[in-house]
Amino acid sequence: MRPNFFHHLHPPTIPAQQSRWRYTLGAGGTAVFLLLVLVVTGALEMFYYTPTPDQAALSVQVISYHVPLGGLVRNLHFWAAQLLMVVTMVHLARVVLTGAYGPPRRFNYLLGLGLFVLAILLNFTGYILRWDQGIHWALVVGTNLLKTIPLIGDTLYEILIGGSQPGPATLIRFYAWHIFGLSLGAVILTGWHVFRVRRDGGIAVPPPLLRRDEARITRYELVRREVLAMILTSAALITLAGFAPAPIDAPIREIAATTSDASAPWFVLWVQQMLKWGDPFLWGVLVPLLVLLVLALIPYILPQPHEGELGRWFPRSNRLARWVLTGIGALVLALTVLALLSGD
Amino acid sequence: MSDSRRATAAASALLLAALLLIWWGDSRRPQPDALTPRLTGQQEYCTTCHTDLPEISPSHPVEIVGCAVCHGGERLALDADLAHRTLRGGGNPSDLSVVEQSCGGSECHSGGSAEGRDHIQRVMTSVQATYAGAITHIRYTFGAQPDQIAHQGIFPVVDAEVSTTTGVPALEAFDPSQDSSPSIQTFSQNCLSCHLSAQPPAGDSFARLTGCAACHTPNVDRFPEGKIHQLTTAIPYTQCNTCHNRGNYDLRSMSFVERTDVPMDRLHDYYQPIAQFTQCEWTLDCVDCHTRIESMGDGDIHSNQSEIEYVQCQTCHGTLTALPRTRIIASEDDLALKLAFLNPVMDLSVGDTILVTAQDEPLWNTRVLPDGTYELVGKATGQVFAFRPVMGTQCTQKPDEQASHYCHECHAVQR
Repeated sequence: MRPNFFHHLHPPTIPAQQSRWRYTLGAGGTAVFLLLVLVVTGALEMFYYTPTPDQAALSVQVISYHVPLGGLVRNLHFWAAQLLMVVTMVHLARVVLTGAYGPPRRFNYLLGLGLFVLAILLNFTGYILRWDQGIHWALVVGTNLLKTIPLIGDTLYEILIGGSQPGPATLIRFYAWHIFGLSLGAVILTGWHVFRVRRDGGIAVPPPLLRRDEARITRYELVRREVLAMILTSAALITLAGFAPAPIDAPIREIAATTSDASAPWFVLWVQQMLKWGDPFLWGVLVPLLVLLVLALIPYILPQPHEGELGRWFPRSNRLARWVLTGIGALVLALTVLALLSGD
Repeated sequence: MSDSRRATAAASALLLAALLLIWWGDSRRPQPDALTPRLTGQQEYCTTCHTDLPEISPSHPVEIVGCAVCHGGERLALDADLAHRTLRGGGNPSDLSVVEQSCGGSECHSGGSAEGRDHIQRVMTSVQATYAGAITHIRYTFGAQPDQIAHQGIFPVVDAEVSTTTGVPALEAFDPSQDSSPSIQTFSQNCLSCHLSAQPPAGDSFARLTGCAACHTPNVDRFPEGKIHQLTTAIPYTQCNTCHNRGNYDLRSMSFVERTDVPMDRLHDYYQPIAQFTQCEWTLDCVDCHTRIESMGDGDIHSNQSEIEYVQCQTCHGTLTALPRTRIIASEDDLALKLAFLNPVMDLSVGDTILVTAQDEPLWNTRVLPDGTYELVGKATGQVFAFRPVMGTQCTQKPDEQASHYCHECHAVQR
């Protein structure tokens, strides 16, 4: 069998031990597939979406209810975005908990973290594009956090929001960021990230002398497994899209109008919960940035995992990194649950 | 077949099943039904689900007015929850809190006062909406204000153009917490159920909607959950009685004492025992005599409903020395023809002579007959009544005693 284009994107063989589902969880590959789904469904939505304040939410209604298969495409886009958040988190956790971030993969770890941030920003901007009453928190409270940053806050806000308060300029800016700036960045970084995986020696494994299992699988088998992941992901996406429609609400008629239901998108609920504790700059900006900084520093300041322990879960040598990540994860989860409980 | 191939085949079957499930779910959705009303030119899909709703009135044809211009809502949504999320006034867009957006607009019922089309401004300032009559009276009686001029109403309202001597420029919102008198407190708790924004007390005999629909959507009690889609100017007296003639206010306990009987016979049961009535006052419907200005207001804020009640016996019957005022319908634009169109109980046309009130309001359901007598057609009943002028009769009334209560002295019916 002659390898085709897709086979050629993969190394001829990779270690069997480290290509198992139970090791990779298929998270990185699924994230790439979800990104592709997002690009395609997003491009389809652009044929109907109108980025003006008076038309945006109505055009979302047109997509959802009247464009043939429009509702399905929008729901797929929504669910792919939510799954991408989950899958990237799982991917990050896998990399940290298997100690796969050590040199020479430190830089690629940062690229991945950058992609994670881009995914959050893409999700946030996409959420704003609905321009309906359900996005009130994100549009008003979320963006106001920028203003709390000393010295540069107001300028940053002006640049991103396009005025002293959300308005028509905000929507077009978020639109441009969502479909152009952030998406382009995400696609380029993804390419770079995947390239660096191979440049850094493929998936993290112990050096040849320390390997317990020499078995390898071919690129054909690898591609088949990837296809399997894609099919399963597609089935999940389609089922979710069919039976759990993406949120939609009545158009925003007045931005200043407060709604009783001012809830943040789920992936920033933990920040919303912290904001109840007071100082918005500390809890809304500094703490999330600190969390990001800690994550970014894991490969640089924590003890490096031993070579011999690579390629398996929970190596003893990176116990500290494991606790740091588990701690952050547990805190974020607890805050999210608290926010969900207090929201009802 | 390798493990991964078998797994791929199984996953593909799963994907196919998911697609079929989607297709099945989609095929169960109703086919969208688009309507583009001429008034807005914007597509709406309400009739996808609301297929068998009767037209609300002949003057609001759905192909011209549509649904969303009155009801609000999300006209494009095919999901009932979202479609109804922004409905104005819940199911009743004529509630006074939203009436300006629903029924108003210069093209509709907020037209200029010159054309007599500023219904919303008139209703919002009317005593039935402000309840200023009762509030003023109670506040005056219990010392909260020194005069009997209205200062407070159910909601704050301003009248930019005061055109009558009794008109008041503005009302503040009635706020009983500012008054120390316990009677006023009790009044605010017990006695604010008969204005146009109030939910009626429980019971079929009180059943009515709020806002315009309080009067123009009669007989809600006959429909399950009050679900009725009708507006009419043929308003039977029973609709007026959802507020009026329902009992008595007891000023000592400051409460409303609901009548306990079930009135059946209008002449004997309905009205206060002390009141006197002539035959037409209990055979006609209230709206046969009480005009638009009297029932919906004259555009001024008044302190008492009596300030705008002006139709008298002589409006239709004249006096010994004068016939009632009349007008020949000169053109198709005559208001009388428009009103007759809304409630076609009578075949009125250009050239007909009708009676008019002292303020030139057309009594469009009357006609002067060739022999000098008159006929009136009941707006709610379609019943035809013939009547004569006083002039040329044996009436012994003094020329300076022309108010209706003088007529009652001889013409009141035995009860």
